[in-house]
Amino acid sequence: MVKERKKSMSTKPLNGKLILFDTGFFTLSAAISLYSGLLVCNALGWTQFSFEQEYAVRNMQSIALAVAFIAFCMSGLTLVFQATGRTTLGDFLFASPARKQVIADIPFFRSFWGLHLFTTLILTFIVSFEVTEVSFMELLDPDGLAGAGRLFANLAHPNFELLPTAIAEVIETIFIAFLGTILAIPIAFLVAFAAAKNIMTHPAAFGVYVVLRTALNLARSVEPLIWAIIFTVWVGVGPFAGMLALLIHSIASLTKQYSEIIEGVSEGPIEGIRSTGANTTQVLWYAVVPQVILPYIAFTIYRWDINVRMATVIGLVGGGGIGTMLIKYQGQAMWREVGCIILVIAAVVWLMDTASAYIREALK
Amino acid sequence: MKKEPILSARNLTKTYTNGVTALKGVNLDVYPGEFLVIIGLSGSGKSTLLRCLNRLHEPTSGEIYYRQARIDTLKGRAVRNFRRKIGMIFQQFNLIPRHSVFSNVMMGRLGSTPTWRSLLGWYSAADQTQALEYLKLVGISEKAKVRADQLSGGQQQRVAIARALTQNPEILLADEPVASLDPATCHTVMDYLRKVNQTLGITIVCNLHFLSLVREYGTRVIALRGGEVVFEGSPKDITEEWFTQIYGEGAKEVHVN
Repeated sequence: MVKERKKSMSTKPLNGKLILFDTGFFTLSAAISLYSGLLVCNALGWTQFSFEQEYAVRNMQSIALAVAFIAFCMSGLTLVFQATGRTTLGDFLFASPARKQVIADIPFFRSFWGLHLFTTLILTFIVSFEVTEVSFMELLDPDGLAGAGRLFANLAHPNFELLPTAIAEVIETIFIAFLGTILAIPIAFLVAFAAAKNIMTHPAAFGVYVVLRTALNLARSVEPLIWAIIFTVWVGVGPFAGMLALLIHSIASLTKQYSEIIEGVSEGPIEGIRSTGANTTQVLWYAVVPQVILPYIAFTIYRWDINVRMATVIGLVGGGGIGTMLIKYQGQAMWREVGCIILVIAAVVWLMDTASAYIREALK
Repeated sequence: MKKEPILSARNLTKTYTNGVTALKGVNLDVYPGEFLVIIGLSGSGKSTLLRCLNRLHEPTSGEIYYRQARIDTLKGRAVRNFRRKIGMIFQQFNLIPRHSVFSNVMMGRLGSTPTWRSLLGWYSAADQTQALEYLKLVGISEKAKVRADQLSGGQQQRVAIARALTQNPEILLADEPVASLDPATCHTVMDYLRKVNQTLGITIVCNLHFLSLVREYGTRVIALRGGEVVFEGSPKDITEEWFTQIYGEGAKEVHVN
């Protein structure tokens, strides 16, 4: 039905991405507008509407239905805009190069997409204040200020008796990060070839590539913090769980980065080696590996650097090391001890950051 | 007396996945010992033709024969075994920049060395001696330990020739071997190719741009235009008329001294 209507109004082919995007964006705009409208009505005393989360949870079904209804209406609106040739945001983003040229000539503030984006951003900005419960009263509350003052005073006078323990713990954290990175390297090295588009050109191999890429993206989209929680249940609280969490995340991240480097190698040497009658393993080893090895090292060092920082955070949920120590003292509100731990963490992170930047610069 | 061709193509066509047809029914015979030159504009299908001949690119249709045996239907290991007999050099040399000259030349033996040994770089002593000999042949043996990317363009192309020779090929395909070199170096490299052709008796199929080089080095010429063979004959037969036909109206011959 939709298609027929479209055909009668225009002969342009439907651009799926464009329509999906515009429908989504219009729905967002409509929902935000409705919500801010309600806020205004509430402020003027016309309605008595509660925005408590509890209310939203209880009425989730009707909210979902309302959103679906709005989305349906907005998809219609999108098609109308499409047919009448309005420059929507989707048009601006996904149009053909020729059309983009036309759109680029219209100044931002006079175009439909510009005004639409601007209005939506302003409304979202206003609504976000309400949703995040921004309150200057809370920020300037005398009791709260006094508490923060006490805390800062204690943090500024760290208890250095804790320093040896903190250093021992931070060394554990560095080891967690180190092993998590090192063990990931050989696995990522091998898997990266299978996750590189220019290597997996054969139709069957391309299937493997797609499956692998999806699995890696899934593994990567689960934060290391979540992996740490999973592994604390699996192997118990401690550095082993933290290391495993970092390992999984490092494998996924390094594989992705390695395979992108492989996809960027120049074809010339590959052709050169293939022409000698070399097999695939030999081509990979002699034509691909020499081209990728330096960027690999750079990325791996950067990954270790990231992992040291992540290992600290993972410690907060029981992944061992300095993070676990930090959460222990924080729980008892022992701020002078926390101050000491924070200093140690800051020093290590700064050191790792500088060292890794220095090495990566030297490798260029 | 007409010799049997060593390599021939029958009705070769190649259409790339993006829809471009690079070769439209090319027929070609390469005779043993000759220095065959292929000329034509950029995009006329010269490079595609060479790459189809050693199966770096898969022809879309047509047949390729190597010593009367069909090789366009070969698969996997058989293709690699066939490729070992066909050396190739490229416009951009296609060496491994981070490896030494000697290591690059040894890569010509990859096809004849078991995978595990080649990954460790354990080539047989005989292979290594031979590689050094070929480096001497192209006059670059004193650079054996230097990294390939430290060499000039002309030197890199000579290393590439040595790498191809280490395969002990019967045919050497050269894809615009001097197109990225200066005129002086250009002749050095072409002279080495002729040396390879005349002293080692290796058949050469070479893509070239400059007619002056074609006349100097080629024993036979084939011209491609729009993926079809439009001229076949002796280099001295390329008249003004043929030249316009191959390169189009308004083209002027450029000389390389």
